[in-house]
Amino acid sequence: MTKFRHLIWTLFAAVGLLMAVSPSFAQKPDVGDQPGLIADENVELDPQFKRTAVLYRTSEPPGTIIISTKDRHLYLVQGGGRALRYGIGVGRDGFQWQGLVNITRKAEWPDWTPPPEMIVRQPYLPRFMAGGPGNPLGARAMYLGTTVYRIHGTNRPDTIGTAVSSGCFRLVNADVADLYERVPVGTKVIIRQKPEL
Amino acid sequence: MFRTFRGGLLIGMAVAIAVAAIAITYERYDTKTLKRTIRRGDVLCGVNKGLPGFSIPDDKGNWIGFDVDFCRAVAAAIFDDPKKAKFVPLDASERFKELQSRKVDILSRNSTWSMSRETSNALYFPAVAYYDGGGFMLPASRKIDSGLELNDSKVCVQAETTTQLNLADFFRTNNMKYTEMKFSKLEDVIKAYDSGQCDTFTADISQLYALRLNLGKPGDHVILPDVISKEPLAPVVRQRDDDWMMIVKWTLYAMINAEELGITSQNIDEALKSKKPDVMRLVGTEGAYGEELGLPRDWAARIIRHVGNYGEIYERNVGEESKLKIPRGLNQLWSAGGIQYAPPIR
Repeated sequence: MTKFRHLIWTLFAAVGLLMAVSPSFAQKPDVGDQPGLIADENVELDPQFKRTAVLYRTSEPPGTIIISTKDRHLYLVQGGGRALRYGIGVGRDGFQWQGLVNITRKAEWPDWTPPPEMIVRQPYLPRFMAGGPGNPLGARAMYLGTTVYRIHGTNRPDTIGTAVSSGCFRLVNADVADLYERVPVGTKVIIRQKPEL
Repeated sequence: MFRTFRGGLLIGMAVAIAVAAIAITYERYDTKTLKRTIRRGDVLCGVNKGLPGFSIPDDKGNWIGFDVDFCRAVAAAIFDDPKKAKFVPLDASERFKELQSRKVDILSRNSTWSMSRETSNALYFPAVAYYDGGGFMLPASRKIDSGLELNDSKVCVQAETTTQLNLADFFRTNNMKYTEMKFSKLEDVIKAYDSGQCDTFTADISQLYALRLNLGKPGDHVILPDVISKEPLAPVVRQRDDDWMMIVKWTLYAMINAEELGITSQNIDEALKSKKPDVMRLVGTEGAYGEELGLPRDWAARIIRHVGNYGEIYERNVGEESKLKIPRGLNQLWSAGGIQYAPPIR
C-alpha cells in the first residue's frame, strides 16, 4: 500500500515537472532538430511525398538531381521523360537557396558536427554527435559542393514536406538509402527555389 | 428610262444581296459576347454534369472543379467577382451545338481539342488548360514501371472509344502483343479489372485516377507515368469573336504566368507592391495590358486574388490537395518538368 502511494506521488511529481518544463520547450523554435530521438520509421508519408516514378521532361541528362524547394520534391532524372520523385524537407524561410553543385562526398550513418553558424542560432545543439539512429543526419549523407549543406536522412520523418531545416534537404532513411545507391560522387545537383516577387 | 430602271434594279439587287449577306453573317457569327456578358452581368459556362475534379456540384449545390474554376477566373477578370460565373450543365453530345446557339458564352467542359472539332463546328479552342492522355493502371505488386514492359498483357478497355484505338497503336508501334478485354460499359471494365481478369486497365489518365478511388483497395494499384496519346483539354468559344477569344485565352495564360512568377492568391497584395518588371506587367502596376483586352488594368490581379494561379487551381481540384491526387505530370510548368507554357505579358 505504501509502495502504491509512493508510486502515485512519483507520478504526480513527474507530471508536474513535465508541465513546468514544457513551456521552455515551446519557446525553442521547432526547427526539426531533435538529436537523440530514434526515428519512427513507420511514419506514413503523405502520398505526394512517397518515392514514385513520375513524368518529368528535362534537358538535364539522366542521373542529375533536381531539387524543387517550393514543392518539397527531389527528382532523380531517369531519361525518357521520367524521373524518380522523392519527398523532402527543406530549409525554413530565409534558409533556402538555389544553384548548381556537385555531390563531393558520400557517407553512411554520418557523424554530425553542426557548423558554427548553426551553433550560434541554436546553442543547445551538441558540438559533435557520432553517427547512428538518433543522429539528425539519419542513415546517409551526400555532401553538396563545398557548402555546409547536404542531402541526408533524418530521425524526424514527420518533417518531410515541411520547411524547417537550416538549408539541408532531408529524406526519410529508406529513401535516402535508396538514392545513395543510385548516385555517385560527382552527381550534378540543381536546386530551384520559388521565384521572388 | 429603261436604262435607269435597269440600273435601279441592279443597285436594288446588290443592296438586297448585301443585306442578306450581313444577316447571314450575323446569324452565323457572333462578335458581341463580351458586350452581352457585361450587359447580362454574368458569364454563362457550359460544364460537365458531374466529373469529379473537373466539374461537379458539391452537397450544397455549389459547383466545384478545375473547369469550374477556370470559368470563375474569366468572370473574375471581367467583373472582379468569381460568383458572376453561372454554370449550365451540358451533355457531351449537345455541348458544341449549345455553344453555337449562344446558350453559353464559353464551354469549359473537358473537351479534347482536335482539328475537326475546330473546323467543322466554327469553334475555337483558345489554349490547352489540361494535358490529358491515355495511360495504364495496374496492381502495384506487379512491380512494372514502364508501359514498355506490358508485352503479352490482358488489357481491360472500354469498347468503341478512342482509348481502344490508342491502345492498339501503342502496342503495334512498340512491337508488343496484348489481349483485348473490351466491355461496352465502363462499370463492366472496372469490375473486370478489380476482379483480376486483366493485367492492366487503360483509359485517360485523369479518368484512371478517378476510377482508382472506387476500387476495392485503391492503394494496391499504380498508374504509370507514361502518356500514350494526346488529349489536350481546352475551353471552347465561337469563331470570329476575337475579343472574347482573347479574354479566355489570356485568362489561362495569366494564371500560368502567375505560377511561374510565384504569385498566388495568398501573396497577391505583396505582388502588387513588387518592383520586378514582369510581375508589375502581370498585376497591372506597369503598362495597360488589360485595357487592350477591353478589361481594366488589374484584370490578372483579380483572377489571382479570387481564383488563384494555375498551380493553385490544379492542386485544389485534381492534385495533391484533392481526393484525386493526380501528379502534375505534363501539366507542370515547362520549367519544372512539364509542358505548360504561357507567352509572356509584355
